[in-house]
Amino acid sequence: MAMPDRFRLDGQVVLLTGAGRGLGRAMALSYADAGAKVAGASRTLSQLEETAELVAERGGEAISIATDVTDRAAVEAMVAETIDRFGRVDILMNNAGGGAEGDGSPLEQLTDDQWRWGIDMNLTSQMLCARAVLPHMTERGSGVIINVASGFGLRGGRDNWMYVSAKAGVVNFTRSLAVTYGPAGVRTNCIAPGIFPHTPQALERWRGGRYIPVGRAGVAWEMGPLAVFLSSSAAAGISGETIAQDGGGLAAIGPTGWAPRVRLTEPT
Amino acid sequence: MSDFVPTPNPEEPEDPFLLRGRVALVVGAGDPLGRAAAVGLAEAGADVAVASLRAGPQEVVRVNSVANEIWSLGRANTAITLDASDANSVDAAVARTSSELGGLDILVNAADLPVAAPLDELTPDDWHAILAANLLAPALTSRAAARVMKVNGYGRIINLVSVLAARGVANTSAYAAAHAGVLALTRALSQEWARSGITVNALQVGLYEGQHGFGDDPETVRQVARMLPAKALVQPEDVGPAVVAMAADSGFITGETIAVDGAATARV
Repeated sequence: MAMPDRFRLDGQVVLLTGAGRGLGRAMALSYADAGAKVAGASRTLSQLEETAELVAERGGEAISIATDVTDRAAVEAMVAETIDRFGRVDILMNNAGGGAEGDGSPLEQLTDDQWRWGIDMNLTSQMLCARAVLPHMTERGSGVIINVASGFGLRGGRDNWMYVSAKAGVVNFTRSLAVTYGPAGVRTNCIAPGIFPHTPQALERWRGGRYIPVGRAGVAWEMGPLAVFLSSSAAAGISGETIAQDGGGLAAIGPTGWAPRVRLTEPT
Repeated sequence: MSDFVPTPNPEEPEDPFLLRGRVALVVGAGDPLGRAAAVGLAEAGADVAVASLRAGPQEVVRVNSVANEIWSLGRANTAITLDASDANSVDAAVARTSSELGGLDILVNAADLPVAAPLDELTPDDWHAILAANLLAPALTSRAAARVMKVNGYGRIINLVSVLAARGVANTSAYAAAHAGVLALTRALSQEWARSGITVNALQVGLYEGQHGFGDDPETVRQVARMLPAKALVQPEDVGPAVVAMAADSGFITGETIAVDGAATARV
């Protein structure tokens, strides 16, 4: 591969949660292309095994670990198994997360359990994974953690409660990890994806619309190169940072295509 | 509001960080960050025009030496001197890049005129000069470059700004205002050209050792470095790969500012 050397991850091991589908699967392929071995984790083993097969088809190496990322013991076992099988963890890609039941409901109807589950799934899970892997990284004096937040972690959404709160938490959790573990050689960054539909049909529905400034939604593979870049020594100067990959949404306000013209006038 | 044409999905590239066949113009290539950008782009396979802002003999020597580095990497190059706050001069530089290297795909605005003095001592003429070099210049180069990029439906504009765009330091009012202005320019142009295949992003670079005007004093450098998690300042060489990552991006990151500052802005 002709990829510039600083972007390569040859021989490195990435522990990637939520690797069974969507963005996680796409990132698994990009990591493998960059030379990394992939330990994929999620709840559904059959999906992970499909990801591992796709990685193998591209000449990479992947293992599958069934895990519940909201369960401390399961997360610790996941890290132990990765180290047991591959000998090390260089990169933790905290990708697992998702929509929570209760988001979309008026706040008065939200139950305490729905709140706790949404925060557990999208914020506590990333803390558990980081906490489990950090002793290994700090002992070796190097490591990279990448947390996946969301455009909803940077702005509010109507009747969106747990997801926005947890993802905003991820953004600031990223900063404290960077500040705290930077001296031990661990860089931490965050990706805030915009809209990346799961199906080709959903992808098509966004095309040419006004909601996303560039006029299309994200395609899953597009997140892979950003993850690889942030994981590699090419991003040595970047830590504590959140990068929005959202087709220009965060930079915008108002409807896409709003392009006022106001003439310079003399004072009257 | 204008009508939008559907935007196609990008093709997944064989190598996501390769710029073979792309032409870049780096304005301010005689400065350390501009040099790092130019060399990084050439290493990734792009042909690079290097432009110097000032016609002074030392500057010409510096830019010619960057052109030689690009040549030694086996890439086509051309060295240009321009007045980046003069529209005709900028247009001529873009035309020359386009005709000598066969197009223009990537524009890096690395021009930087550092000035620091208490507001009380800054004259209106100082303000005009500071705003012209730091803010008007990237607007004019972007304007000229986008005329070419729109024809091809492809462009990557990367503005390098100082961390002072986001954090206050005494005696930097005009310089910081100009650099913060570049971030607003970045966001506005990202929207203006969102449907033209042109992305506009910024890299917000922390204090680096030897930075003209700000990183000259060893005691200041030592104190700033001590505040960073890595206990060391970012290096200009860290900026090159970040420029490459933005230049090679598939087009879903736009209007975004990425801090390359060793977590300086992540901490309280």
